[in-house]
Parts: sequence; structure tokens; C-alpha cells
Amino acid sequence: MGAVTDDEVIRKRLLIDGDGAGDDRRINVLLKSFTKWCNSPGTPDEGSVKGSLQTTCLHFVPKNLIQVLFVTVFRFTQYQRMMGILAQCEFSMGKTLMVYDMNLREMENYEKIYTNIEQNITSAHDKIAECKKEIQRAKRIRKNRQEYDALAKVIQQHPDRHETLKQLEALDKELQQLSHIKENVDAKLELRKKQFHVLLSTIQELQQTLENDEKSDNDENIQGSPAQNGE
Amino acid sequence: MGPVELLHMSVFSQSFSPCGRFLAAGNNYGEIAVFSLSAALSPDATAQSQKPVLTFSAHEGPVFSLLSNDCHLLSAGSGEVSCWSWAELIKKNTKPLWTKRPNYKSSLEIPEINSMTFNSRDNSLVLAGGDNNVHILDLERGLFKSVLQGHSDYVHCVSVRGREGEILSGGEDGAVRMWDSRTGQCVHCIEVHKYESCARPQFGKWISCVTTDSDWMLCGGGPSLSLWHLRSLSPTSIFPLIGCQRQTSFYQDMILAVGDGPAVSHCLLGGEVKAQIPCSPQSLNTLQLNTNSTDYRVLTVGGSSDHIDVFTNLSYRTFSFSF
Repeated sequence: MGAVTDDEVIRKRLLIDGDGAGDDRRINVLLKSFTKWCNSPGTPDEGSVKGSLQTTCLHFVPKNLIQVLFVTVFRFTQYQRMMGILAQCEFSMGKTLMVYDMNLREMENYEKIYTNIEQNITSAHDKIAECKKEIQRAKRIRKNRQEYDALAKVIQQHPDRHETLKQLEALDKELQQLSHIKENVDAKLELRKKQFHVLLSTIQELQQTLENDEKSDNDENIQGSPAQNGE
Repeated sequence: MGPVELLHMSVFSQSFSPCGRFLAAGNNYGEIAVFSLSAALSPDATAQSQKPVLTFSAHEGPVFSLLSNDCHLLSAGSGEVSCWSWAELIKKNTKPLWTKRPNYKSSLEIPEINSMTFNSRDNSLVLAGGDNNVHILDLERGLFKSVLQGHSDYVHCVSVRGREGEILSGGEDGAVRMWDSRTGQCVHCIEVHKYESCARPQFGKWISCVTTDSDWMLCGGGPSLSLWHLRSLSPTSIFPLIGCQRQTSFYQDMILAVGDGPAVSHCLLGGEVKAQIPCSPQSLNTLQLNTNSTDYRVLTVGGSSDHIDVFTNLSYRTFSFSF
């Protein structure tokens, strides 16, 4: 208690019940009326008794009896009044306690909601990071697809491989046939050349033989005539 | 930088820092400006955060190409390559680590370096030179190890096919050549303007952008932007974009292209143009995606204006940096 300064106490009390109309006043009133009740005399003062006598119809009752009755009634009413004030104070205290409990529970509730929201925030952050990674992946995939498309466009411009192969095969066949024909023609040419060579060489030889024969005939004639002349 | 200079400024190149929080941009006056993305995208960004945190003069001529690796920024301008450390640049120290110049045959005119790219297989830098050659610089030893000759006019752009270890180069002569990085021989040569479906004789035959993701290649310039399948060396899709495209890139399942015209074109691999997002410069030269940081995944484009548009969502322009 010594740690809390007077200022704090005053500030708190002003905050709670600054205007004096409320529990504080009630407690003060109760205390005052209790002390008054404890210290009140056995006999009441003349003025109050007379005033209240005039209003009541207890004229015929003897004065002393009336006085005692009045005092007991008076004290009883004070007592009732004090009990009432006490009950009011208790009631307000109970109310404050309940409000305090309610505040505590509200705080708990808010704490729960707070942690919940924090968790949501972190999970949202994680999801954002995930999505960013996804985007990068998707962009890479898109880039690859576009590259494929670009290459495919170029490839489409070139003729089909089967077609080209078929054309190549046909050309090969043609080439083979033509070379075959060429070979044949070449062989024939060789053969004819050889035959002509044979023919020509035979003719040459015959010519040679005929010339030789002519020559030998001439020689014989020349030899024969001198021999004739010699005889 | 007076208003007239700002009016005539063109942004030719951009590069993001390895941490992804800074953007370096090179313009035609030889300056490089470093912008802070983290400041500009933070909730309490002001108009001042769209200005550069550091501007310095890097080369005498225009800065045509910027490239970043784990800790360095490489810039190429008129004939030389400079290397800057990102850590030093963030601390506003603008002294270059080294500056190298490829061996040019003629010493009279210095040809410019149009484009650079890394070849991570052998840790080398591939440079597209204005002397019709592709130079290869070995980053470990710091020497120029080979020269790929074959183009008959200057080389605009280079790209590297990681899986096969080939270098692709596109040039003013309309040929896209594929070189083997180890032997330095030209493996293939595609003359894009000879294909009827791609050719646009009214624009010419030059190729200004080549990019690849190992199986497919995008090239454009004078001929229409076209997607090629590298295994079969055949054009698969032609994109019906008006104007010449100066830089393209593959992004997820889309193709982003910038060039003539104040718009970034989003196209699908099949050949259709999905969207054209307007931006502030009248024509665009460079397009970069920030893949180094997950917080600041933005697309930035720069072109013939002193503004660099930043897109946090690919569908609309968020704000612009200005020099």
C-alpha cells in the first residue's frame, strides 16, 4: 500500500466516482446515519414529536407511551433505512464485481481473436510467397512453350522428312538406272572398238601380205629376166 | 552544368552497384554520375534524392559503356578503359584504380570502345572497338591477350554465350559474328540483312544490339529486332517494332527492348508486342535491370535527355533521376 502514492489514489477515486453522486455518497450517508443512530438519545425532542403527533390520530393515547412508541418506531425506521442503504451498496458492489468478471472474459476473447488474426497474417504471407514461386515457375514454363512454338514455326517451313527421303530414294533409283545404262553403252562401245580394231588390223595385215606378195613377185620377175639374159 | 548542356545531354550507359543500392550512369560529356537508389526509394525521399550523390569526369569523350562486377566499376570511353572501386566511389573518392588502352594499329585517331562485357569462363573483359576489332583483356594479368579480327566496320556490341564459351559481336557492317573464346576463330557469321524477313533497307544493315541467353539470340538495329535460334542459326520471330532498337534484354518470359521512340517495348518470344510503356526521354539508349538486390528491383532506362526513368513496377514509370 505504501508503494501507491496519494496522487494515484486520488486520481483513481476521482475517476471512479468524481461527482459525489453514487456509491461513495451512499457509503458516507450510511456511516453518518449509523453513527447518528448509535448516538441518538432515548427520548426524542419536543418539536418532532409534536409535529408527528399532529399528523397522527393517536391523540387519545397517553403522552409517555406515545413518546416511547415514537422513539422505537423512529429508531426502527432509521434501522430499516440503513439496511436499505446497505443493501443498495451491496447490490452495486455485486454489479461492479460482475462487470469486472465480464471485462476479464472480454479481454480473453480479444486475446484469442488477436492470436487468430496473427496466425492468419503469417499464413497469408506464406501463401503469398508460395504464389510468387508459382508465378516464377509458370513464367519459365511459358517462356519454354514460346520457345517451342518459335522453333516449331521454323521447322514447319522446312519440308517433311518422309517426302524428302522418298524423293531421295527415287533419285537414287534413277541414278542407278542411268549408271547401269551408261555401263551398258560403255561396254558396247568397247566391244565395237575392239571389233573394229580386229577388222582394221586384219585389213592392215592383208594389205601388208599383198604388198609383200607384189614385191616378191616383182623381185622374182627381175631376177628371172637377168637370168634369161644371162643364158 | 548549364541548361543548354543539360538539354543536349544523352545518357549512353548505366550500371548498378554490386550491393544494388547505387546506379552509375555515363553521359556524352564524359561524366559519370552515381545515384542512390536506396535514398530515392525510401519513404522519406525528397526531390534532392533524385539528384546524383556524386558526379565526376571520367573520360574525355562520351562514356559509351559501364559494367560492374563484384567490387569494381569499369567504364569505357574514347579508346580507354578505366576501373573504379565501388567502395571508393561510395565514399566519394574518384580516383581510378587503373586505365588501360588496347593496342590500336593507327595512332592517329583513337577509336572508341562501344561496348564491354565479361567473359566469366576465363575472367576476361571483351571490348567492342571502333577499329573493327574485338579486343579481349585478361582481368587477372591486366594485359590485352587477343584481338578478334573479322568485321569490316566498327563493332557496336558484344555479348557472351556462357555455356558454349562463345563471343557474339554485332557491327556496322551488318554481320553478327560468333567467335570461339579460346582459339579466337570466327565460328559463324550471320548477315542479318540478307534474310528477307528481317531486313529493313530503309534503315540500313547495321546491328546495334546483340544479346543472348545461350540458346537464343536477339539482334536488332537497322534490320528489325529478331529472335534467332543459335543451334540452327535461323530467325524464329521478328518483332514489328517501328524504329531501330538499341538495347534489348531477356527478362523472365519477356523481351524488353529500347530504341527510337519514347517507349520501352515489352514483347513475347512469339513475336508479338505485349506493351509499350511511355517514358520521358525522346529516344532511349540504355536499359538496365537491377538484379543485384531484392529490395530495389527496378528497371532504369536512359536516352537522349538528362533524365533517367526508374520503373519499380514494369508497367509504369515511377520517377526520374536527373543529372
